[in-house]
Amino acid sequence: MTAIAQTESGVPSSTDARPILDCRGLEKSYGDRRAVAGVGFEIAAGETYGLLGPNGAGKTTTISMVCGLLSRDAGEVVVNGKPLTPSSTDAKTAIGYVPQDLAIYPDLTAKENLTFFGRLYGMARVDIRQRSKEILEITGLADRADERTDEFSGGMKRRLNIGIALLHRPSLLVLDEPTVGVDPQSRNAILGNVEALSGAGMAVLYTTHYMEEAERLCDRVGIIDEGEIKAEGTRRELVAILGEHDHVSLDATGDLTGAARALASLETIAEATHRESGIDLILANASRHLPQILETVAQADAEVTSVNVVEPDLEAVFLKLTGKALRD
Amino acid sequence: MNRALSIATVNATRLARDRVGLFFLFVLPIVLILLLGVSFGGGFEPTLGVVSTGSGPLASELVDALAYEDVIEIDRLDGAKQLIDAVERGGVDAGIVVPAGYDRQLRSGERTEIEFIEPAGTTTAAIRTTVEAIVVDQAARVRAARFASERGAGDFGEAIQTAGLVQDQSPGIEVVVMEEGESTFEGLGQFDLGAASQLVLFMFVNSLAATVALIQTRRLGVSRRMLSTPTSARTIVAGEALGRFVVAMGQGVFIIFAASLLFGVDWGDPLAASALVMAFALVSTGAAMFFGAVLSNEQQAGALTPLSLGLAALGGCMVPLEVFSPTMQTIAHITPHAWAVEGFTEIIRTNAGLAEIALQLVVLLGFAVILLAIASGRLRKSITS
Ligand SMILES: Nc1ncnc2c1ncn2[C@@H]1O[C@H](COP(=O)(O)OP(=O)(O)O)[C@@H](O)[C@H]1O
Ligand SMILES: [Mg+2]
Repeated sequence: MTAIAQTESGVPSSTDARPILDCRGLEKSYGDRRAVAGVGFEIAAGETYGLLGPNGAGKTTTISMVCGLLSRDAGEVVVNGKPLTPSSTDAKTAIGYVPQDLAIYPDLTAKENLTFFGRLYGMARVDIRQRSKEILEITGLADRADERTDEFSGGMKRRLNIGIALLHRPSLLVLDEPTVGVDPQSRNAILGNVEALSGAGMAVLYTTHYMEEAERLCDRVGIIDEGEIKAEGTRRELVAILGEHDHVSLDATGDLTGAARALASLETIAEATHRESGIDLILANASRHLPQILETVAQADAEVTSVNVVEPDLEAVFLKLTGKALRD
Repeated sequence: MNRALSIATVNATRLARDRVGLFFLFVLPIVLILLLGVSFGGGFEPTLGVVSTGSGPLASELVDALAYEDVIEIDRLDGAKQLIDAVERGGVDAGIVVPAGYDRQLRSGERTEIEFIEPAGTTTAAIRTTVEAIVVDQAARVRAARFASERGAGDFGEAIQTAGLVQDQSPGIEVVVMEEGESTFEGLGQFDLGAASQLVLFMFVNSLAATVALIQTRRLGVSRRMLSTPTSARTIVAGEALGRFVVAMGQGVFIIFAASLLFGVDWGDPLAASALVMAFALVSTGAAMFFGAVLSNEQQAGALTPLSLGLAALGGCMVPLEVFSPTMQTIAHITPHAWAVEGFTEIIRTNAGLAEIALQLVVLLGFAVILLAIASGRLRKSITS
């Protein structure tokens, strides 16, 4: 599946200084709930930009505005120098959108699904035929091209879901949590695909709530929570936010809520939050404060089973920035 | 427009994949038209209750002549009391009583009377015309025979046979009688009205059944994905509506041709029939789009088939509207079905043209416009937010 890189031809050269995607000031409310409150970022050709945030952070809403699926309350989206409006053919044609759901017709074949979306992109018949063949090869679906997609495995559907977005040779690929509910093997294949596409010069917008994916794929990451980008930069830049702080991960049993609250009230602890089977802490000079930590936990009717001082990572950055765990 | 066509085409393709759907779309309506035509087709012929207490050959001949008539059915009853009862209860549409002395009175040249009983406030002109024609026909022969036997040309029995032969050789009289009888029910074949009501019933049922596909398209996010292509919400809505309209029209036209080829159904004025089918296809499309936009999952759509069958029953697709009480007839007209059935009945029964069914067409188009407007708004909203 890494063959995608060689067959992508419509991607502008990365020497082009203008960003492929430039969006700023995006806002969207549902009723009086602010889903996105002033989000903006740029993505250059060949760059992969990650939106990392928990469920409900506003990732899908942001992406929907970027792709023109959703009217925005405020803000601007410019793709390839063309402003995106609901009726803008040029800007939309430059985007390949991979929805979080499997947005394919179950009762049509893989080829028919591709053909249908090719038509909607206004591609010529010959081009659709040619390009469908390429996509089916790339996604490893060539020998199942004429089968209804409801007979496909989950992984195959995912691959087709992505393939449809690549059919019309977009210069910006937008993926909304493409690995949710995917088996590890398909997930690896998808990540490999994205890397290859990016290597071939495609601009990629990738949303996820998996820290590992953001760390592996993304040249730059925007940490998003409650509709705002809390911090943005390369992994190195983001980790620097932690400064001298360490990320300590405790495995523990007992009253974790109470223990986390007790720890958070300690002067030395910057952030404390509990997971299902443990507690995450951000603090400076972890080794010096360890005895105090263990004692506090014990007093709160919980018991620590193991202590890990973790390499500074984006999860810790998220915790430091929001006081919350990325995953619950 | 190309994009709307692509969406419409995909709709049709998906439908063509669905074997069960195709069965409901094309096979079942024809089967039902056949079954209904065979079992109830005669039900449209009015029934004449006959009481004949006289036992002579002239009385029997009269009853036989009535029974032989195609446009009415006869039901022999034992006495005048039973007949009046049957007329009152609607068991028969009208009745006659042939008096006991029928033969004797006719032979002796006395005046005789056949009592014609009809329900109060109902016109049974069609039946009466038929009965009168036959009575007049017999009376003519009786008169001729009596005239002949009085002039010494043999006895009455021989004379009346001769009179019958003479009459058969001068078919002019009989043709006139027959034509009069038939014209009242012109074009009303055994399958005609059944075919029309099945057409209306199935166009609506199948349109609503196909909402499942639209709900699925929305739920899977395919509609939203369409929106990410250079396709406007307006185009998506138009494409979905167009696909449904084309399928409903296809079904309507198929039923019309199949019923006319297989069962000889005469659909009357082609222009009026086409206009009705088109108007009702629009109504069905509007209803389908509406439910496709407001329902959130395919399970909910399961309730649509009972709903559409209920509307069809209320709208006179299962039992003719004429059978309904006046109040029920009024209520029936809240359904588009009633208007469509009424329109078809007009063009089939009386060969009405566009002008005569203008009211029905306007009402149907009104239904269609309102449904389509609401549905388009709801569907647009459901895919853009
Ligand atoms: N159609 C909608 N109507 C109302 N609220 C919504 C709708 N879509 C999303 N939201 C709310 O907006 C917020 C952001 O949602 P979303 O963008 O889907 O987050 P994410 O993709 O990061 O999980 C959430 O609080 C969600 O409940
Ligand atoms: Mg989401």
